[in-house]
Amino acid sequence: MAADRPVKARPPRGGRAPRSARRAATGRALRPWLLLAPALTVLAVLLFWPLARVVLLSFQDYGLRQINTGESNYTGLDNYRDILGDSFLWKTVLPNTVFFAGACVGLTLVVGTLVALLLQRLGRVWRVICSTVIMMAWAMPAVTGTYVWIWIFDPLDGVVSGGLDGLGLIEPRETNWFTDRWSFYAIATLNVVHHGFPFVAITLYAALLTIPRELPEAAVCDGAGPWQRFWLITVPTIRPAFAVVTILSIIWDFKVFAQIYLMPGGAGANEDVLNLGVWSYIQSFSRNEYGTGSAIAVLLTLLLLAITVVYVRALSREKDEP
Amino acid sequence: MRQSFRGRASRTALRRLATGAAVLSLGLVTACGGDDGDDGASGGPTLEVWIMEGTNPDAGPYVAELQAAFTERTGATLEVQFIQWADAHDRFTTAMAGGELPDVAEIGTTWAPEFGAAGALTDLAEQIEADGLGDDLVPGLYEAAQVDGAVYGMPWYAGIRSLMYRSDIFAEHDLQPPTTWQELREVARQLRVSEPDMIPFPVSGGSEYGLYPFVWGAGGEIAEQTGDGQWRSAINAPEAVEGIEFYTSLATEDGLSVAAAETWLETDQLESFQNGDSAMVINGNWTVNTLIADDPAWADRIGVVPVPGQDGGFSPSFVGGSLLGEFGSDEPELAWELISMMTTGEHAAAWAEQSGYFPGQQSLLEEVQQEADPLVAPFAQAMLEAGASLPVTDRYGAIQGEQVVQGMLQSILSGDRSAQEAADEAAAAMDETFGG
Amino acid sequence: MTRRTSTAGRIGIAAAVAALLVFTLFPVYWMISSAFDPDADHRGSEVLPAGFTLDHFRQVLNEGEFTRYLANSALVGLGTVLLSGLLALFAAVAVARFRFRMRTKVLVMILVVQMVPLEALVIPLFLQMRDLELLNSLIGLTIVYLAFSLPFAVWTLRGFVAAVPSEVEEAAYLDGCGWWRMFRSVLLPLVAPGLVATSIFAFITAWNEFIFAFVFMQDDSKYTAAVGLHRFFGQYSTDWGAVMAGSTLITLPVLIFFVLVQRRLAGGLASGAIR
Repeated sequence: MAADRPVKARPPRGGRAPRSARRAATGRALRPWLLLAPALTVLAVLLFWPLARVVLLSFQDYGLRQINTGESNYTGLDNYRDILGDSFLWKTVLPNTVFFAGACVGLTLVVGTLVALLLQRLGRVWRVICSTVIMMAWAMPAVTGTYVWIWIFDPLDGVVSGGLDGLGLIEPRETNWFTDRWSFYAIATLNVVHHGFPFVAITLYAALLTIPRELPEAAVCDGAGPWQRFWLITVPTIRPAFAVVTILSIIWDFKVFAQIYLMPGGAGANEDVLNLGVWSYIQSFSRNEYGTGSAIAVLLTLLLLAITVVYVRALSREKDEP
Repeated sequence: MRQSFRGRASRTALRRLATGAAVLSLGLVTACGGDDGDDGASGGPTLEVWIMEGTNPDAGPYVAELQAAFTERTGATLEVQFIQWADAHDRFTTAMAGGELPDVAEIGTTWAPEFGAAGALTDLAEQIEADGLGDDLVPGLYEAAQVDGAVYGMPWYAGIRSLMYRSDIFAEHDLQPPTTWQELREVARQLRVSEPDMIPFPVSGGSEYGLYPFVWGAGGEIAEQTGDGQWRSAINAPEAVEGIEFYTSLATEDGLSVAAAETWLETDQLESFQNGDSAMVINGNWTVNTLIADDPAWADRIGVVPVPGQDGGFSPSFVGGSLLGEFGSDEPELAWELISMMTTGEHAAAWAEQSGYFPGQQSLLEEVQQEADPLVAPFAQAMLEAGASLPVTDRYGAIQGEQVVQGMLQSILSGDRSAQEAADEAAAAMDETFGG
Repeated sequence: MTRRTSTAGRIGIAAAVAALLVFTLFPVYWMISSAFDPDADHRGSEVLPAGFTLDHFRQVLNEGEFTRYLANSALVGLGTVLLSGLLALFAAVAVARFRFRMRTKVLVMILVVQMVPLEALVIPLFLQMRDLELLNSLIGLTIVYLAFSLPFAVWTLRGFVAAVPSEVEEAAYLDGCGWWRMFRSVLLPLVAPGLVATSIFAFITAWNEFIFAFVFMQDDSKYTAAVGLHRFFGQYSTDWGAVMAGSTLITLPVLIFFVLVQRRLAGGLASGAIR
């Protein structure tokens, strides 16, 4: 992972890099900030400040009237109290979010890793074919992909219903995949994994490429079996890359919005399938309760933050062990 | 409201619209060349108006004419922006936040109380009274615009849902359009036998407007206002539940619908009718124009009757439509001038005729009914005799936004809940919103 | 390696390849074949389309103004790619090559902003863009996407910059180069693969994004492709042939772009993630 270089670089204080740095000491102190300035300005204006505004909104009873007049209307922790006291959060929204994201992250990583390992074993021609095809899955934008999956599972004319009907397994007139919580999320999971695994596969495959050719051969000479080779050589090589794609997958999959919102019933008609992102959006834009919506968004951010912190901690602990 | 108007566009309509838009954009270029601020090139002020896209399949000429007439009458420039029904609500909200609202805009009836309560809309009561227009407005629409004595919009055009059926198929099997609920069930059952590949009567879980006639027809209400002005849901009262039970039982007990319809929106239902998959649907009068515009042969295949009453007569149906609201314009006189130009007299009549809706002026509507077109008159009759409106409160907009009624329908149709259970939950959800 | 693979292993690999191809390609195939199918709406489980027609594409291109939407998307995408590459590179050099106070804090903050659900930012960002007078402009949209793609780009590029041995830089200094010269002729070429990776990510971000494009653009002549498709879906709903044709049109440019750059991409992503 990207964090280890500075960690290594810190102890030898009188090392080479600092000496050259000292040569142009005055200019250099400012230089990192000059380099960071454009990016930080953009982030500050377009992400940090709006984010701060969301936090401020979450402490208010903010409706259309406030939107129109721009007044503020602070109510303290009321929004949070309402949300956290709502059994709907604990019984439906939170489990949906966590289990769905968990399933997506898990499956994306498993499929992605397996595909990366597969690519490594393929000959040149098939490797090019497979990686091109993987790119196709990645290239399909989320909105498009969602419409395609809806069409595939269309209860009346879709290929899945049609196929199962042809096999005599279901009665298409009596089956709707989108009303049931489980089948709804199964479809959404397919969609997210299909769109998400290429990133994991390509990244991990590239990481596998960095294994020096001599290493596995040496291991074979030493009598290591394929399983041992996998654990002793492959796993440590891809671990840093794996950590990064895991964090990114967690962040992306907890925030899934379009893939749920655009599905039939996903925009609020079917309460059973709401996740935190969609719930927040519906509270804000459909019910005009921007304060509540913002509070949900803040909770989602905190949840992600907590998961990431725990994960990064676990990683660094692993790293410290020899 | 958001789903209620989405079903109109058809391929042909869109093609015409594209031409219209091209004409329109040319018109705009010439009309406001070099216009950056509030003052047009002609020196007069500029008024911005938002109109929903797709209502009038060929809006270009209408807009050009309106712009010319408006400039001639007032010397001001009129700028027209078309926006989409499906997303209009979010767009108004963000524009409100950003102070980017137009001077005048078309709004759905249920938004008037919502935006009015937010203080974004101007009360038009005085102007309407001064011009003596109040008595001649279609009641369902006019009521929807009134909150505590204020009038937040001027009725522009209206539509109503009725029962549309395939007259060719009915004739083939010698069936008569239903006049009571029982007949509706019977006819649909016969259709299921004689046309096994068709869906006799899809019960769409994503459309609330198909349900309302049955709630009202059974004598129920969606919500009632108590003495102190507080609204309370009545959707779980015995009468309303009877209506809900009847409507959903067509699907769950008689198998007259399909499972796919559990998540259908009104547009999907229209699409299935258009594709020849469905034999009867509850849909709006504007869709008749869409169908015929797409394929003239529809004129011989389609029949319309008002949604039948439980034991004869009509079930009340929701009068949908649009108001023209003024969003705190800097030029209130000009804004009102524009509103009255668009909602009364020739421009109103022309718009209604082109779009397939009914004018919001009672006198114009009666003229339409007297023409006795078999595809128009039943709708006009339903509107005059059985028009109903939804609870007029800004809270109902939030309830619709949350899709409470659709959620109730879906849980009954998918078999998760009984009608009473689902209605109890829906009532609780509504009361929470009303109370808060 | 293949030499040592047993027959069973080969069958296993073949099966895995087949499964991968089916899972990956099926939706793509179904989208494209439905777009050409004259009777797409009633296709059911027919593996082959009922015929071949360009009507759906014609309909989409004529009526949905798709060409314009695609051009808008391409413009915004390109702008985002260029800007995010440039700004992220500067920022990456700063965090990878310099030790300064708050360095870790800056990095953590950049990671944290990625976690905010963007839907929650619609209203505040709208206000922000109004204040900057950038609503209803493709430039404004580009800047917003720039902000969305920057965090990932900075994190990825940081790995690349760190991977360039500082000896190489020092050699350049010894040759009498100034810092800027060194940056341009030594560092930049070495991190080029990383720039490819971040470009792709930025492009996808811009190409995919929907809500902000929809809310910020008031003229429909400025809609992007995703908004155009959504609007089209709203109007035609279950006219699957046309919706799939529109989807194909949106996917195609990305697809071509990806296939062209994929070999560089693999190297790019990995070195960024590893170091």
